[in-house]
Amino acid sequence: MFQHLFTARLKCLTRDRQMMFWTLLFPLLLATFFNMAFSNLNNTEAFHPIDIAVVDNDRYRQNKDFHSVLEEVSQGEDRIFNLTKTDGEKAEKLLDDGKIKAYVTVGTEIGMTVRESGLSQNIVRAFLNSYSQTSSAVASIVRENPASVRNGLIEAVSDRGEYTREVSGSSAEPNNVLNYFYSLIAMSCLYGGFWGLKEVTDIQADLSQRAARVNVAPVHKLKIFLYNMCAAILLHFSEMLVLLAYLYFGLKIDFGSKTLFVLLTTFAGSVLGVSFGAFVSALVKKGEGVKVAVLLAVSMAGSFLAGMMSEEMKYIVAQNVPVLSYLNPVNLLTDALYSLYYYDIMTRYGWNMAAVCAFALLFCLGSYFMIRRQKYASL
Amino acid sequence: MIIRVNNLVKRYGDLVALDHLSLEVKEGEIFGLLGPNGSGKTTVINCILSLLKYDKGEIEIFDQPMAPDAYDIKRDIGIIMQNVAVFEELTVYENIDYFCGLYVPDKAKRKKLVEDAIDFVGLNDFRKFYPKKLSGGLLRRLNIACGIAHRPKLIILDEPTVAVDPQSRNNILEGIVRLNREGATIVYTSHYMEEVEQICTRIMILDKGRMIADGSKEELKAMITLGEKITVETFSLREEQLSALKKLPNIVSAEYRDHLLVVKSGKGQNNLEAILDFLKRNQITFGKIYSELPTLNDVFLEITGKQLRD
Repeated sequence: MFQHLFTARLKCLTRDRQMMFWTLLFPLLLATFFNMAFSNLNNTEAFHPIDIAVVDNDRYRQNKDFHSVLEEVSQGEDRIFNLTKTDGEKAEKLLDDGKIKAYVTVGTEIGMTVRESGLSQNIVRAFLNSYSQTSSAVASIVRENPASVRNGLIEAVSDRGEYTREVSGSSAEPNNVLNYFYSLIAMSCLYGGFWGLKEVTDIQADLSQRAARVNVAPVHKLKIFLYNMCAAILLHFSEMLVLLAYLYFGLKIDFGSKTLFVLLTTFAGSVLGVSFGAFVSALVKKGEGVKVAVLLAVSMAGSFLAGMMSEEMKYIVAQNVPVLSYLNPVNLLTDALYSLYYYDIMTRYGWNMAAVCAFALLFCLGSYFMIRRQKYASL
Repeated sequence: MIIRVNNLVKRYGDLVALDHLSLEVKEGEIFGLLGPNGSGKTTVINCILSLLKYDKGEIEIFDQPMAPDAYDIKRDIGIIMQNVAVFEELTVYENIDYFCGLYVPDKAKRKKLVEDAIDFVGLNDFRKFYPKKLSGGLLRRLNIACGIAHRPKLIILDEPTVAVDPQSRNNILEGIVRLNREGATIVYTSHYMEEVEQICTRIMILDKGRMIADGSKEELKAMITLGEKITVETFSLREEQLSALKKLPNIVSAEYRDHLLVVKSGKGQNNLEAILDFLKRNQITFGKIYSELPTLNDVFLEITGKQLRD
């Protein structure tokens, strides 16, 4: 009986083209668009050397200290500046053409010329200020105590030792873009609700004539419902595996090293999504259109609040309405996946998964209590 | 007894859908439930099938109380719904196999039953078709095949010919008679009196959830005073002649409209002869003449004062 009902149900589900589009192709398309939109987001956030020029006049050449410091910070992979040496006229033209952010002139004092203010200009200014203050301090100390040079003053001033120690909770690099893809996976899990919705419609005699025919058969309706739900979860989990494979192999999305836990989270997400759809279908006593609308509204609102459209939203919710973060299944799944990627310890992941499982259990029990009746008041 | 319904009451709020309804269906019958739309036919079927809660009454099938978990009873029931109830995503064969599989777990046994059902409804050429590719008539046949493939002893057909073309309708009705001949007891609901007259061995007429008549079609027609309806084509009939005609013995009513004289007479012999004799005596020229026996609609009209299809 199980094999007969299960295989027939799988055929029914896989041949439903509209549902297959929304639960399989749509997330794949969305992932592709995300990849196109966000592929340069990390690059734009990385630090790029600032294009500046220095007026290569006698004063500059004579100021050996500044000359060597500026040359030093403009060399190598970790350089701060892309330095161009030129005369004053050409420096002015480079600035006008937008090819440099600022140019430096060494006179009685070290000066900086800019056309606009911004982060790059502030960095150049901070560098020049820092140099001026340090050289001024060294000059004052040497004036007061000439022996200090012999006692290692220059080395002491040059030493930029750190007095705080950075302790990271993770061996992974923070990556804001991943949140978009993880929330997409979470949203796709919730889209499993379409299958759950269909399962309830096809077992409740007051929702479809097909279900009425099934209800008069000599098989307990909850048994048929359970078999059908198994088929729906298997299909949806398979769809999610396709999505994960596409993200991992196709778009090279990093899931960290805990692959088995990623699969477990996705499976739990599938169960949560399908049971959520069943719950909505059993709870909302309206037509199929209304049920689909409720399902979509919850999934999309949940995805929005979990940061799928704007990553800042996730932190706004966490800061202002933290309880919503724990009530939003999309956020729980997104956070679980990010915890697996970023944190070495599993505490946060564990709490997220506990909440996901609790929701899935709640939806399953809720659906069971609503559809368990075997006779209807009206058909 | 195949079905025994006793004193069944079903209310939807203030509306009484079934009003102390009792009925019995004996083995081998084709039992017709006839009534206008909203008379309670589908409601009584859904109560019998334990799909609907009811307020009062008892229902027994195969002499056992019917309940949602009475699987031994359900195993011998086949249901053909008013609307086509199949899966759009499964082919003709797969649909019949799916529903048959709910009753017959054995795969080999089921295969033969499914083949027989396909043969029975004549869908051999369409076994790999999806329902959306079938015409309305073929869809109805598929709907029937899904309900009978497991060879039930009791088959309930709830208005299976609604929106079906005449050819498919005849095909369906012939099939029902064949199923009955092969041993199935049939419960057939319809608001088409011609169909019920054509195939049912016993008929119950329902109105507003109440039984208003029960018996064979001959017994039902014997319940009313109307004997026959005579229609005469005539081109001139004065008012006083019509009044004189109405006074003839055994005439129930007479109307003259659009050159047609329609006379309803009570039971008795020589009604037609008496009318023709009257027309000749009064030198009234006449053309075509029709005589019709009463229909179930006349039965319904005489008992309730309204047409069956009102």
